[in-house]
Amino acid sequence: MSLFTALPVDFEQPQWLWLLALVPLLVIASRRSLAGLDPARRVAALVVRSTVVILAALCLARMRHVERNDDLTVLFLMDRSYSVQEKQTAQEDFIRQVTAEMPPDDRVGLIDFARNAYLQQLPMSGYYVPPGRLPIMPNTDRTDVASALRLAMAMFPHDATKRIVLMSDGNDNMGDVLTEARRARTYGIPIDVVPLWYQHRNEVYFDRLIAPTHADPGEQLPLRMVIHSYERVTGTIAVYHNDRLVDLPESSSRVALNPGKNTFFIKLPAGESGAQTFRAVFSPDSDTMDAVSMNNTASAFTFVTGQSRVLVVSGNSEHDRVFVDALRSENVPVDHVSATSLGAFGLLQMINYSSIILSNVPAATFTQKQQEELTIYVRDMGSGLVMLGGDQSFGAGGWIGSPVEEIMPVTFEIKHKRVIPRGALVLIMHSCEIPRGDFWGKEMAKRAVDTISSRDYIGVLAYKFSPGGNTWEVPLGLNTNKSAVKAAIDKMRIGDMPDFDSTMRMAYRELTAGRGRDAAQKHVIILSDGDAQQPSPKLLKDYAANKISVSTIAIGWGAHVMQGTLRNIAKATGGRFYAARNPKQLPQIFVKESTVVRRPLIIDEPFQPQILHTFSDLLGGVDASSEKFPLLGGMVLTSPKTSANVMIPIIRATDDGEDPVLAHWQYGLGKTVAFTSGYWPIWGDVWTQWGKYAKFWSQLIRWTMRQETPANFDTYTKIEGSRGRIVIDALDKDASYLNNLNLQAKVIGPDNKPITLTFTQHGPGNYQAEFDVETAGQYLSSIQIEDQDRYLGTIRTGLSVPFSPEYRDLVPNEPLLRQVADVTGGNFLEADATTGDVFRHDLPPVEARRPAWEWVLAWLLLPAFLLDVAVRRLASWLALSVAVEVVVLVVLLFGLDFRYGWGVLGAVLLAELVGWTIRFKYIGSVFEFMTHGVGALAHTGDRSTASLQQLKGTRDRVREEMDEDRSEKLHRLDTEQTPTVPRKPKQHYDAGEPTSTKPTGDLGAALGGAVKDAAPPKPKPRTTGDQDDADTTSRLLRAKKRRQE
Amino acid sequence: MSGLHHNHNHARAAFQHPAQRVAARSLLVLAMAALACLPGCERPSSLPDGVVATFGRMGLAPSQFSYPRAITVDGSGRILVIDKAGRIQRFDTDGNYLSEWVMPETADGKPVGLAVHPDGRIFVADTHYHRVSIFDPDGQAIGSFGHQGTGDGEFLLPTDVAFDALGFIYVSEYQGNDRITKWSPDLEFVGVIGADPIHGLRLSRPAGIEIDDEQTLWVADACNHRVVRFSLDGEVLTTFGGFGRERGKLRYPYDIAVTPEGTILVCEYEGNRLQWFSKDGQSLRVWGEPGRRVGALHSPWGAASGTDGRVYIADSENYRVQVIKL
Repeated sequence: MSLFTALPVDFEQPQWLWLLALVPLLVIASRRSLAGLDPARRVAALVVRSTVVILAALCLARMRHVERNDDLTVLFLMDRSYSVQEKQTAQEDFIRQVTAEMPPDDRVGLIDFARNAYLQQLPMSGYYVPPGRLPIMPNTDRTDVASALRLAMAMFPHDATKRIVLMSDGNDNMGDVLTEARRARTYGIPIDVVPLWYQHRNEVYFDRLIAPTHADPGEQLPLRMVIHSYERVTGTIAVYHNDRLVDLPESSSRVALNPGKNTFFIKLPAGESGAQTFRAVFSPDSDTMDAVSMNNTASAFTFVTGQSRVLVVSGNSEHDRVFVDALRSENVPVDHVSATSLGAFGLLQMINYSSIILSNVPAATFTQKQQEELTIYVRDMGSGLVMLGGDQSFGAGGWIGSPVEEIMPVTFEIKHKRVIPRGALVLIMHSCEIPRGDFWGKEMAKRAVDTISSRDYIGVLAYKFSPGGNTWEVPLGLNTNKSAVKAAIDKMRIGDMPDFDSTMRMAYRELTAGRGRDAAQKHVIILSDGDAQQPSPKLLKDYAANKISVSTIAIGWGAHVMQGTLRNIAKATGGRFYAARNPKQLPQIFVKESTVVRRPLIIDEPFQPQILHTFSDLLGGVDASSEKFPLLGGMVLTSPKTSANVMIPIIRATDDGEDPVLAHWQYGLGKTVAFTSGYWPIWGDVWTQWGKYAKFWSQLIRWTMRQETPANFDTYTKIEGSRGRIVIDALDKDASYLNNLNLQAKVIGPDNKPITLTFTQHGPGNYQAEFDVETAGQYLSSIQIEDQDRYLGTIRTGLSVPFSPEYRDLVPNEPLLRQVADVTGGNFLEADATTGDVFRHDLPPVEARRPAWEWVLAWLLLPAFLLDVAVRRLASWLALSVAVEVVVLVVLLFGLDFRYGWGVLGAVLLAELVGWTIRFKYIGSVFEFMTHGVGALAHTGDRSTASLQQLKGTRDRVREEMDEDRSEKLHRLDTEQTPTVPRKPKQHYDAGEPTSTKPTGDLGAALGGAVKDAAPPKPKPRTTGDQDDADTTSRLLRAKKRRQE
Repeated sequence: MSGLHHNHNHARAAFQHPAQRVAARSLLVLAMAALACLPGCERPSSLPDGVVATFGRMGLAPSQFSYPRAITVDGSGRILVIDKAGRIQRFDTDGNYLSEWVMPETADGKPVGLAVHPDGRIFVADTHYHRVSIFDPDGQAIGSFGHQGTGDGEFLLPTDVAFDALGFIYVSEYQGNDRITKWSPDLEFVGVIGADPIHGLRLSRPAGIEIDDEQTLWVADACNHRVVRFSLDGEVLTTFGGFGRERGKLRYPYDIAVTPEGTILVCEYEGNRLQWFSKDGQSLRVWGEPGRRVGALHSPWGAASGTDGRVYIADSENYRVQVIKL
């Protein structure tokens, strides 16, 4: 803190300032207590002591430094949501127009927003965003003004007055704008509003499609379609049932819309049991009739009651044919699909099945979202999931670290100390030119770390700052501490490698001669935009010869990503090449590639399954005590989870330990089963011949199936703004209302986060619950109904939000914008606003208060206290001056921070100046002495001859007198005592100056010591010899004086 | 010594004496010097040996860089710098910002080389679009030549541009093409230089090219860590370098420039230094070390020689340009 800026101050506890009244008292009291000091000291001591008291008072009053500033910081909030996408240039022009001549000390920043808000320019002295160069705005399907306001409030510098300029159409459809506006008001931040005007003359939107929530199989379902139009428009309606186009008669599909709401009815057969989805799309005859096409669709679904079914998903459908037939033979209703033909497989499709069996299906078949939905399907929907083994299943199928591993009764890692061949995976990361390329690269590398087992090697290579160049960001080592490896990946800075050759050579060395040499499977993944120089053909041959495969992923969403080199590397080494044009593809690619090193998890040798837990529910149909299971030809290694819930009925026992073959548990509301063998034609040929094969499996699958009774209550769902509502009318068989029911429900939205619903009773038998439907997509709910702990049944319902309200609110919301301006005291600006309108300095200056008393205490009060002691106790002025000098120097260097460059010199000079000013009192006299001596010497030549003659004469005369006196004295010596003569005060030797005749103190006093003013020295008895000397001297002096006169 | 004692009157009287006035004046000068020093107490502004100035820091505002990657000096001594945001900024000799423009397309990647034609046009090796883009001195795009491919008149990742005295244009490229192509002043393809192996090695990522007063072509053969000198009809005249840290060796030379004295200045991307060579390949001087501080370099992509003995370095990972004069 600089002393000079510290001058404007205030006090936190001003009552302590009364202590200042002590200063006059101190002055009076000090007159006595400091009476012993010489006047200069006394004044100095008094000043210093008063300073100490004043500073102590300031500290106790908690002095604060107040900075006042009326420089203005304006943050522009630019709406870039869909509804105003054509207004971006106008908004940029507006900012440029009003900032062109902004005051030099003001600052301007930019935040743009749609669903999320982003800071595009920190507050700076000008607007520096080049026209049309703002990054692409993601998620324009929503407008969240509130989040932009929150970000703006966080981004303002504290030391300036603040203003927000909001440019928007006011169609906020996410946050609570007014709450944030009120918060801005409390911070004293006015929000000026620039409304973005537009008008869609021709616009049609599908208001809603209404279908009954429940139906019986074969029932004709009435569908009601409501379409809103601004003008007269003709067009066609297409309806899709479970994503298949329904063949409607032309009378139903050809429609003419009138301005306002138009309603149409059709009837469709309900179809099979389960969730039936309906989607209706309106297409105008001419594109000019409709400004926004995203809002021309609506969807709904109906739950059709009926027998619940089981889905078998096969990695290879042929392999599971016997298995599926066996289940069907036991009357298990099975649908069988291949993993590659799953298509759109979301929670809504999953829920149609009571249990899902994944038979040798690799993790990469499912997206991360689908895997999360599988866990919801089990945990929250109470369904079953069975995973069967194979070369693409469990850990060997990339399921390690996946959400599905979480819900299974076994972990896919190997925990006991079995020696199994290791895999080694090296990731080579290359800086990518495309936006956020490095971010995606890191995310995917972390995903790979999750996917491979802790018994495998992982290493990450990147090009970085010299002297390393190519550097092991994660040295090749065991993947035991995944979080540490991921943290290292997060921290790494991916450089732009000049060539693949040197980097791949490093990986090669480590995999063939380094830690990775003992790995059974060696694999390298290169993530790059492909612009590094290609590797040498010889190196690629070496890779191939050592069976190190290299898969390459060209990351880039443009058309010009360099694929040639990456494609060649993959081809030459037996790896795969991927062109990832969309970052969402990357997780699955990485999972798939990472599993290359997981082949050692597979045990490819026959073994005898043994029973461990005979009391398992799953062995009920098998006489476990007397019967042996048939041999199995192989399995995937896993480890049981350490939970009391986990049951392991069948194991494979070896000298190394026991490996689970069959494990099951209850997870949440559902059940999961892991059967680590399977792979029927290869490992389970003997099993499929086993007489109890069908019974064993049908019993196992039935155990997992969801158990529920549909509750036949009338259920309705509807959307009100951004809220969804579920209404249940509960009547019993006698049509009397069921009151005080206990309804437990969760709703799963498009983000897959379960939200617990709270039902409240609104009338006799009428229960309602509300929830947010801010995101477009499906909202599924499962409601369990109990009447005083008696289970009445489960209702499945839900609703569909076809498109964001962003595409519905197509008229600027002026009232909201005006309200925002009014609430915060801002202005309503028009497009032709000037610099003065925006950068108007009509806000009270900002006062920033920072405690200054600590600084005063440390750097003023403490030094002053030391000086106070020094002034009174240090006898010598010289010592005092040095003390003061040191104190001043310390305060300047450390208190005022003059420690850099010329500041040090300045501090030293200033301290010296103060020191020498004090010493001047002392040194001045030395100067006087010296200058006198010099002056005297200068005149020596003029008078020397005459003076010497006179002095000689005088000397001779004195000598004669002395000789006479001496003989006289010797004569009287024994009888007389010579009376003491008072010493004459010494005189100044100053030449040309009037000599003082006033007696001065002793040497101590002359040096300014703190001695009392002594009385004139008392005459002391002298010895005769002394007296003789004194007489001689005094006589000589007298003689000299006479000569001078 | 008691005569040394005096009171305040004496002190005041002492100032009347000439010697004391001298002393008092000395103190006054001391005081003024101290006060003059105090306000200027900023952190050291002295620059390390050879560094005349630095300019730029991370950012998108004028005089800020998002990873400067290519640098050149025009006929008037002005400096042009391209960064990873695809911006071309122009500065005066002292690094004061003059103007800027943005490459027309940047979604797939940004340029890594540029050169100013004697007539003032700016030729940019638009690397990731596999073409050379041409701008007028005001930054207006006035054309381009070349497209992706491996044949004659096609480019793969062009890296740098140079001009000879007759106005022919030379463009270096890599990743398979690894050659220098020659174009006529009216942008017609003329021929190829450096397509054959040189001492057993084909050019590998020629990252920077320059033509000297003797009309010979100097090539920074980056991934072979060497410099190759060609005659303009493609004959190899000299090669020197080789991978290493010692003097005379190179680590990924990414740019090359010819100084007014006729020495060859090589900018080492991984070596984080500049090295001056005589035309026969003797290493004359080395400057720079890896680091963040002024006087150190962090993955420099380019260097350009000014007419007044200054050298401008695109100190890429340090997001600045360093100006040195040795």
